[in-house]
Amino acid sequence: MYCINDKQIDFILNDIRRRGIEMEDLQSNLLDHICCIIEQNLKEGDDFEEFYKKTIPQFFENELWEIEQETITLLTFKNYYAMKKTMIISGIFSVTAFVAGSFFKIMHWPGASPLLILGIAAISFIFLPLMFVLKAKEASAAREKLVAGVGTLIGILLCMSTLFRLMHWPGASILWISTSACSIFLFIPIYFFSGLRKPETKTNTVVTTIILIGATGLLFSLTSIRKSRQNIFLETKTYYKNEQLLARMRSKVSSSTNTQLCNNIQNACDKIKGLILKEETGYDKLPPDFDTKNILITEGGIGDSFGGENEGSKLLNDLKELLNNYNTGKNTEGKVPVDYPFFELSSEGIMQFSNLSLLNSLTQIQLFVAGSELQLTPVK
Amino acid sequence: MLFSSELIKGTLKTIILKLLSENKRMYGYEITQRVKDLTGNRIQLTEGALYPTLHALEADGLLTTETEYIGKRVRKYYSLSKEGKARSKEKVSEFADFIDTMKFLLDIKHKPV
Repeated sequence: MYCINDKQIDFILNDIRRRGIEMEDLQSNLLDHICCIIEQNLKEGDDFEEFYKKTIPQFFENELWEIEQETITLLTFKNYYAMKKTMIISGIFSVTAFVAGSFFKIMHWPGASPLLILGIAAISFIFLPLMFVLKAKEASAAREKLVAGVGTLIGILLCMSTLFRLMHWPGASILWISTSACSIFLFIPIYFFSGLRKPETKTNTVVTTIILIGATGLLFSLTSIRKSRQNIFLETKTYYKNEQLLARMRSKVSSSTNTQLCNNIQNACDKIKGLILKEETGYDKLPPDFDTKNILITEGGIGDSFGGENEGSKLLNDLKELLNNYNTGKNTEGKVPVDYPFFELSSEGIMQFSNLSLLNSLTQIQLFVAGSELQLTPVK
Repeated sequence: MLFSSELIKGTLKTIILKLLSENKRMYGYEITQRVKDLTGNRIQLTEGALYPTLHALEADGLLTTETEYIGKRVRKYYSLSKEGKARSKEKVSEFADFIDTMKFLLDIKHKPV
């Protein structure tokens, strides 16, 4: 058996490295293998280098680094399946959680927020990044990888800004604007120009680009009509303060000359407000800790319970009648104003009427009534 | 007659797992030599196929490794993990079924030798 010396071992190792084998594990495997072959087949006095040069080509077809490439392919192939599986599972999970969360939110059932957060987090931080890694692996050109990368980033931003807005978290508007800006100035140009270069994707690219611009424009227009959380909080707080003022006045009225009619008006207003608040926040009445519980009144339409023959529109008609009864026989100063626009609207129009405006107007009516009963002069 | 590498490629994992189930631990060169001896030179594993597969099996958790210094160089010994032992049996029985099916499919019994 030939005895291989340290100098020869260094020579082989250096040659393996020079031929492009970088994985240390593979280097030592190949080194030992070659040494074994030499030890078994070379005779004392034979030319080591010549034998080595003859032996090494049996390890590959063209180049030695093919072994490393094959190893890497096999290793990533294994991860590829695991990644694909994780991607599909996280995708199904996030879509289910998101749809359920949205449904819970509409129904004002508990658990909406955790579902939405989990769903959006899973899609942003598991599904989309994995999809990018898999896409990038499949893509041959660097340009395609760039499109996939920027597209993923926009997707994550879009999910995050949706979550921030749904939860009324601070910074939602900035995120929303950043997403729109990144989409318009970064993603769409990159997508458009990279797709345009290939004749087979040209038409599709143009059509998709137009759709993308339209969709981004729509999203951007939503930004402009949204208010910041700070404003929503201030509006909710103003409403809450008015409610406190009303409660204080009513507590005084109750001990004085309170008539049945006044009671009916107050109750009708409370019922209508209860409907609006239930629709918007899930609560009949704004709790004192509305801020910490993140229960805010976001301005929007008053909703379905006021359309057609529904409870809300009936209550509004009753209220108008009660107010007219109340005003009969009163002098100008004692009259409660009834010239509110929502009394005149059709059933379709009333559904679009601002919930916040209606809530404040009703509180105002209640204050007028309570004020009149306390012999106060209503503020004009 | 030497079997084509195309045929060997699909059975390489089974060969390695089976050999390791019969031997406590083996290193790369030893595996190629054992296969050569057992098959009377009819199956010669190439290094280009053997080492990537050994690495993949190790990454799958089917093989465990230990290293030993032979002078200045390192020798990596492979042995079956608990999971690898179970998989070895599965692979062999799967391949036995495959052979039966192929025999039937290619009607090998009725062909003149």
